[in-house]
This record gives sequence, structure tokens and C-alpha cells, in this order.
Amino acid sequence: MRHRLAGAMLAAAALLSACSASGPVRPWQKGELARPEMRMDDPADARIAEKAFASRESASGGGRVGSGGCGCN
Amino acid sequence: MQLSATATGHAPHAGSGPRPGPGGALLAAALALPGVAPPAAAYDPPDGHTVGVRHLDYRDAQPGLSRVRVSSPSVWYTGPVGEDWSIAASGGVDAVSGASPRWHTAVSGASSLRDRRVYGDLRLTRHADRMAWTVGIAQSDENDYRSRAASAGVRIRSEDGNTEWSGAAAFARDRIDGADPSPIAGDRRTLELSAGVTRVASTRDIVALQLGLARADGTLSDPYKYPDRRPDRRDQVSVLLRWNHHIADGPTALAGSTLRTQYRHYRDSWGVRAHTLGVEWVRPLAHGWTFAPLARLHSQSAARFYFDPVYDPVLGAPFPPGFASSPDRAVSPDQRLSAFGALAAGLRVAWRIDEAWTVDMRAEWYRQQGTWRIGGEGSPGLARLEARILQFGASRRF
Repeated sequence: MRHRLAGAMLAAAALLSACSASGPVRPWQKGELARPEMRMDDPADARIAEKAFASRESASGGGRVGSGGCGCN
Repeated sequence: MQLSATATGHAPHAGSGPRPGPGGALLAAALALPGVAPPAAAYDPPDGHTVGVRHLDYRDAQPGLSRVRVSSPSVWYTGPVGEDWSIAASGGVDAVSGASPRWHTAVSGASSLRDRRVYGDLRLTRHADRMAWTVGIAQSDENDYRSRAASAGVRIRSEDGNTEWSGAAAFARDRIDGADPSPIAGDRRTLELSAGVTRVASTRDIVALQLGLARADGTLSDPYKYPDRRPDRRDQVSVLLRWNHHIADGPTALAGSTLRTQYRHYRDSWGVRAHTLGVEWVRPLAHGWTFAPLARLHSQSAARFYFDPVYDPVLGAPFPPGFASSPDRAVSPDQRLSAFGALAAGLRVAWRIDEAWTVDMRAEWYRQQGTWRIGGEGSPGLARLEARILQFGASRRF
């Protein structure tokens, strides 16, 4: 199972790196990408909501590290 | 329970402008539109100071029983320090009250709780040409739990601005002192590592992959669940995939909107396997308004040592069958370690009033039950859990 997970991750990373099949995106083509909603990081309300969910579930992670622990879970 | 994340950089999407962060950094730095003054490259410090406040109101319940309520005000700040540095800070208070089950969904006289958590965090970033380094500290205190954490991270952008690599490490040391009648007390140490890559896939798509690893050692049992004896180590792995897609053409209702999608796979050494899918459709409207309906689907398996609400025929509740013959084995009746599925749905609304002020609201409804587990049997005998999460925020740029 661990080997399958590692293989899937490597495949995903390779796929990610190979994106832009039509060629690299030039700076003057990035107008739409500069929109605030295209940002990859979550705004605070999303992080707080995810923390609420994590306090009622067993899974966590995937976001920012270093926030410390709490008695919620 | 305490809910508020020690989250800095609270500006909502609408009206936030380019700011440091994965994805946003590489975009802003590479943008050079003819006839338009280029925005401040996010690998540069923010070009202004921003202060914000946020309030969270959380309530959950099971059939016929109101359980936990959390009220949490918080404040945050981001801003430049000189030409090459920036700082981000946040702090708040979680006020918790209600009743938390002692085992499975059983609430007794010993289940009532009232607690107050005070927390804060600080992050300092050094900005360079195509790199940014960040160090941070975080602290929280409540009457039975104290946490201290430190972190460090780096972001590196490719020369063409289409790829960003990131890495971070964090260490936390927590102290648990269960209040009466719990005898459990001890330390917990957690090491977290993360690595990721963000890629501009097309003129309308950004994708990202992030791997997270964590190891927790020490006192991991819940001092308020009984009987609750968990292994003293927990190794966790998470893989997060994100895809943001801007819809430029098509029907009027869709054109100009953005679809944000993420999938997380999680597994740990306790036997929990989980899948989480989140979708958000962001629709900017006139006069600075943004509406974003969102949904989240979660499914998990049970921890290896979780036991169903079937009790020893001699000892009775809350003891699992065979408890008397092997009292030292790992066991837990914590519903959060059971197998279940959960669905959340909600709406986020933001209004960028002017160049300085932005306000936002987020409302979500959440439901968790065993029969909703995907790809396997859910744990039987547990009452469903429902929660309502409300958030209100406001920020001002200077």
C-alpha cells in the first residue's frame, strides 16, 4: 500500500511538472491568473472552517504547518 | 473544543490584492500586462498594512442534545518591515461551553465543559528575488492544554514564474493536564514536514500538489474519554491536490467565475484512511461583491483500536468485550475515531466596500453519520452529529 501511495505521488508530481502542454505561459497571458480567487492558499475563513472539521474527524493536514496543538482533538 | 486556527494573513479573496503565498507569489511576480502598472510582486513584501477582525460562532448537536458551543473573536495584522521583510501576526480567544460525550455518544454529569483558550502566532518573512523564507512561532493556553510551536519554510519560484516549490518544517511541544476527574497528564511532541509544488498549467489553470508528514509522540489519549488508551505514537501522511480553474467564456452565469477544487488523501499509523473532497465556485459580481457556494465531502475508516458501542457482558458500559482480561491494550470509544462519512455545504459572501475596507461572511452546515461512509461500512450504533459554523470578518488596508 505504501509503494502504491509513493508511486501515485511520483506520478502526480511528474504530471504536475509536465503541465502547460501547449508551452510555457508568458507573463502577458496571465491576466486571469492574477485574480484573488485564483490564489492557491486558503483565506482565513477556510482555514478556520477546516480546523473545525478536523476537531470532529480523524484526518488533518495538507495546509499550513506550525499552528501548534489544542485540546480540541 | 477549540476551533480557531492560529491563522495569519486573513484577507479574504475579494479585494485582497496580490499577497505573499503559494500560487499568488508566482503569479504576481510574473505578471506584466501592457498598459497596466504591474502589481507588487508577491515575493516582495506587501505594499501596505492590513488589519482585520474575525468572529466565529460554532454549535454542534446530536439528536435531542445540544453539545458544544464555541465563540471565538480574533484579530490579525500583515504588513511590511523595511524593504525586504514582512510580518504577520494573529491572536484570539476561544470560549467553549457545552457537553462532550464520555464514551461514544453517552453524555453524563461529567460531560459538561467550560473552557477558555488564548492563542497567538507570529510569522516573519524575508523576501528576495525569487525566494522567500519564513519563520514563525505559535502559542496557545487553556486550563488543561498548553502548546508551543515553531516553524520555518521557504518558497522558490522558477525563472519563468510558472512553477513554485515550497517546503516547511514545524515542531510543537504540548502539555496536557486533564482536569478532574481525569488522571491523564503528560507531554506531546509533534514534528511536521511539508513539501509542495504549484504550477501554472494554462492561461486559466493553476494546479498544486502538497505532501505532509507528521509524527506525534507522547500523551495522545483523550483525558475525558473513558476508557481511552491510545498508542503513544502517531505517524500521519497527507497528500493534497488542488486545481483552480477560471471560466472565462460560456453562459453569462458562468463567465468570469472560478472553480476551486481540492482533494486530500490521509492515512496514519492508527489505521485511519480518509478521503476529503472540497469544491468552491467563486462568482464575482458588480460593486465589489463576491458569492461563493461551497461543499465538502469526507469519508474515513475507523482507527484500529476503536471499539463499537458493544460492551462487556459482565462489566457493562463503557468497557469493551474482554477488557478485564487485557486491560492494557489500546482502546477508544471516541466517535471521531470511528468510520463515517460527512457532508458540509455553505456559502461565503464578501464585499469589497472600497480600496481600504472589505467585509465577509461564511455560513456552513455540517453533518456526520456512519451510514454516509464511502467505500466501506460505517461504524454502527452512533448518533449522527450536526454542526453550524458562522464566521464574520472585516479588514482595512492602510
